[in-house]
Amino acid sequence: MTDFLQLLISGLATGAIYALAAIGFTLLWQTSQTINFAQGEFVMVPAFLALIAMRWFGVPFVASLVLAILASMLLLGVAFRYIIVGPLIRRGVLPLVISTIALSILLKESVKDFYSAEAQTFPTLLPDTLITVAGVSVSLAQLGVLAVALVTIVLLQWFLAGTRTGRQMQATAQNPTVARILGVPVERMILYTFLINAALAAMASLLVSPIYLAKFSNGETLGLIAFVAAIVGGFNQVRGAIAGGLLIGVLDNLAAAYVSTAYRQAIPLILLVLVILFRPQGLLGRKEERAV
Amino acid sequence: MASNTEAILTLDSVVAGYGKMTILNGVSAAIRRGAITTVIGPNGAGKSTLFKTVFGLLGVRTGRVTFDGADTTSFEPRRMLDAGMCYVPQGRNLFPELSVRHNLELGGVALSDTSRLAGRMDEMMARFPMLREKADAQASTLSGGQQKLLEVARGLLLEPKLMLIDEPSIGLSPLMVQEVFSILKDLRSAGVSILMIEQNARQALAISDYGLVLEQGQTRIEDTAQSILADPRIAQLFLGGGLAPATEEKSR
Repeated sequence: MTDFLQLLISGLATGAIYALAAIGFTLLWQTSQTINFAQGEFVMVPAFLALIAMRWFGVPFVASLVLAILASMLLLGVAFRYIIVGPLIRRGVLPLVISTIALSILLKESVKDFYSAEAQTFPTLLPDTLITVAGVSVSLAQLGVLAVALVTIVLLQWFLAGTRTGRQMQATAQNPTVARILGVPVERMILYTFLINAALAAMASLLVSPIYLAKFSNGETLGLIAFVAAIVGGFNQVRGAIAGGLLIGVLDNLAAAYVSTAYRQAIPLILLVLVILFRPQGLLGRKEERAV
Repeated sequence: MASNTEAILTLDSVVAGYGKMTILNGVSAAIRRGAITTVIGPNGAGKSTLFKTVFGLLGVRTGRVTFDGADTTSFEPRRMLDAGMCYVPQGRNLFPELSVRHNLELGGVALSDTSRLAGRMDEMMARFPMLREKADAQASTLSGGQQKLLEVARGLLLEPKLMLIDEPSIGLSPLMVQEVFSILKDLRSAGVSILMIEQNARQALAISDYGLVLEQGQTRIEDTAQSILADPRIAQLFLGGGLAPATEEKSR
């Protein structure tokens, strides 16, 4: 039982990171029909931005994290929106999908060529000391990851549901034409989702890199898991992405412990197949009724 | 024989369309202040396109639109709202996952003075008590008629001078159609001008002051609603020979 609890907590911690990456995925899809196949690289790059700040320019650790988030919002948010998505979305979804695949290759190769092909250690905010409560021992770092990710998610949900701007973003996602008819600044709302996506991806990056090291190829797995988490939870729902991310994190940890580590990678895919077969709109998703 | 009340909206040889398609081929019309005007015409005559063009969702290629004394030809929707026009499109136009209250609140996005928002929302809820009862329900749980009421209330939040409303009766029960029409009449009494598209043409003209018959993107007839109802050619062409038009849901 204590084993199970330990696995559950560490599963939730990684799952919360997956959720961060998956939320952005669904936000971009909802507001701008962008399926971002570079999402995994969006989670890989910010750690390297922080490493560049720390190792090349000697910026202190915490300041580097802040800089990495801000630089991500600029590069993976604003620049992505206006240089890639803006011009390409007018030509349809497919050219944009292909462009994001190209972008993922560009980001991966750039990090490999300009930084390093080796996995890089990444400092953590909290030490890896074990704390034991009622026989269950978890590392402080893991609890920290879980806490930071959950607080971020709660803040995001509060912003989307509890503020007028957030509701204008939801309106833009649910029906952009009507939002425009009511005077919602639709373009600005779309830009906000790109900024939020970049910030969440950067958070995920800074949380996952101390655990799995920072490596140029990290995005391959992370992107796939984020994509699967979004589909499993329901592509058109932020809370779906959260549920999908947490579920995959937990299942993946439990499977590694109780079944076999060899099956670990298979879990998200099995889940994906089951959901597509039996509940194609996702666990929490609603069926799409798109106006033509 | 249109009376000589002042026009709130004037179209002067307006040409507009999508891509290579031209839908409006030089529409001219004068919509009277303080009146209900119904636009009728066959499918593809350009009725909805006319609304989108007037409201700035679709660009005017040539011609001129004047609203409330100002040239609004090149205005975007946001500026049309500021100028005092609102637009309730055809079909379902709510945000299904937001509550009734938040749907209503989004009608006030363009309010210049946000401190007035709460007061305006209260007024709307007092006027349509159903909105207060269901304030916290998801908009998608409302019936078709309730959804239309919410859309109208949302449009009224900015105190518009002119409401464009496209096919309000679609998908509604006959009783609900009566209710929506009576709300439009109340609005007219309160001084709001209304320009409506309605396939339920006979019923709509019966509550209207004026009618506008569009055909192939041009104004065919512009007259009082009564004369249009009495015109035998129009009855044959557009009013479906007295049979009640189908009211089934038109999916879009």
